[in-house]
Amino acid sequence: MTGTETTHEPEVRAIESDGAPARYARGWHCLGLEKDFADREPHQVLAFGQKLVVFAGSDGVVHVLDAFCRHMGGDLSQGTVKGDEIACPFHDWRWGGDGRCKQIPYARRVPLRARTASWPTLVQDGMLFIWNDPEGKAPPADVTIPRIPGVEDPEWTDWVWYTTVIEGANCREIVDNVVDMAHFFYVHYSFPTYFKNVFEGHTATQFMNGVGREDLVRPGSSGRKSQHATGNSSVATYHGPSFMIDDLVYHYADGVDVPSTLINCHYPIDGNSFVLQYGVIVKKLPGLADEQADAMARKMGDFIRLGFEQDVEIWRTKARIDNPLLCEEDGPVYQLRRWYEQFYVDAAEVQPEMTERFEFEIDTTRPTEAWKREVEENIAAGRTALSAARKPAGQHA
Amino acid sequence: MSLRPDNRLLDAPMQPVTCDTCQGQVEVRKSSWEQTSIQWHDDAVERCVERRAASPRPGPNGATFQGCEALRRTVATLAVGGDLDVQSEESDA
Repeated sequence: MTGTETTHEPEVRAIESDGAPARYARGWHCLGLEKDFADREPHQVLAFGQKLVVFAGSDGVVHVLDAFCRHMGGDLSQGTVKGDEIACPFHDWRWGGDGRCKQIPYARRVPLRARTASWPTLVQDGMLFIWNDPEGKAPPADVTIPRIPGVEDPEWTDWVWYTTVIEGANCREIVDNVVDMAHFFYVHYSFPTYFKNVFEGHTATQFMNGVGREDLVRPGSSGRKSQHATGNSSVATYHGPSFMIDDLVYHYADGVDVPSTLINCHYPIDGNSFVLQYGVIVKKLPGLADEQADAMARKMGDFIRLGFEQDVEIWRTKARIDNPLLCEEDGPVYQLRRWYEQFYVDAAEVQPEMTERFEFEIDTTRPTEAWKREVEENIAAGRTALSAARKPAGQHA
Repeated sequence: MSLRPDNRLLDAPMQPVTCDTCQGQVEVRKSSWEQTSIQWHDDAVERCVERRAASPRPGPNGATFQGCEALRRTVATLAVGGDLDVQSEESDA
């Protein structure tokens, strides 16, 4: 470079970032499978910049409280469940699921003001949700999580569930994925051929169809051709800021369709870390034993885990960027963030443009051409998508 | 966070479109013949005949209305007739 400025050269593009938001999203957040909290032991959950305690009373009802006892600050998550209450390990103060201190065994009466923060909970389709609202209001009746038909249906498998802590990234990174068609090819080894987003109200939907990648199967592997998915159709919706249901069907060469439901959800630990969880249920194919169907769900989950691990590698080192520079084949990142912003302002401050319907359909002509070429090159070179994505050994830190 | 403008809209903004069927007013942008962005407003959503008639698709996400065919036809007609810009030039790069 000569350093001489020419009028034709555009300015260097600066990456802008205001940093992670100072508050946490309003909405239902899934903490995981309810059965994992049902053992009548206190469970510590770090979420929304706080420490929470989750416990099931003798009645089986799961409660969520701030973990710190209002008496002398003892950590209730190190305490004991006694009856329907959580007892502090420090002085045995007993806290009920409603956040009120019910009993102090060594005191004549419980002081006034003995109330701690409690979170509204929802148990549905095997999952435990809590409602977070910085304004402290109850969840509105029209903000709900839809029922998942396959759960508790004997023709479907049980949940195969994964939990992973993501450090060094704000949860906006994972929400961005809903509009990011190209990363599904580069990071998740899928091949989208149709991609459309619809944002409306508190939902953000991604319609995506794809074809199977022939460079995913190692040449000469023993897998039968009929067992390789030739395509997939997916309708994935965020219901609120953190809980996505993906209605996903894999199509197979022998004409068989396998419906599945995928959950992709998270809750923030703080502004720079979050817990990512995902789960799968699969419709059992006729003639398939339950163990085989479960193994199929597990296999699918493991493939999704691989994809998320690739995501994590990106997030770990990427910059937070508020002004992404988009090409026309990218999705509606800005409009998604405008939608996402509704969860970070007071309910009274939600603007019409945050919730009004917006549609964006990508032209997949050019991506399809480019990706076909790349897949062919991988096959010609005897590479799989996975080996092609692996960095040369010298580049490892 | 202060929300930034979409760099693509700076180069070519959304244009107003009135649906031939329901006269609902939306804004549309086409970056190519196959790409379409549609900004709806609440009054246009309320007017939309297909949306009112639509029953939810099966599945947990069935409540999401995928899109209006009449509006799609309106947009296509405008684009073909040159009344809606289509940003389709290719770069040499």
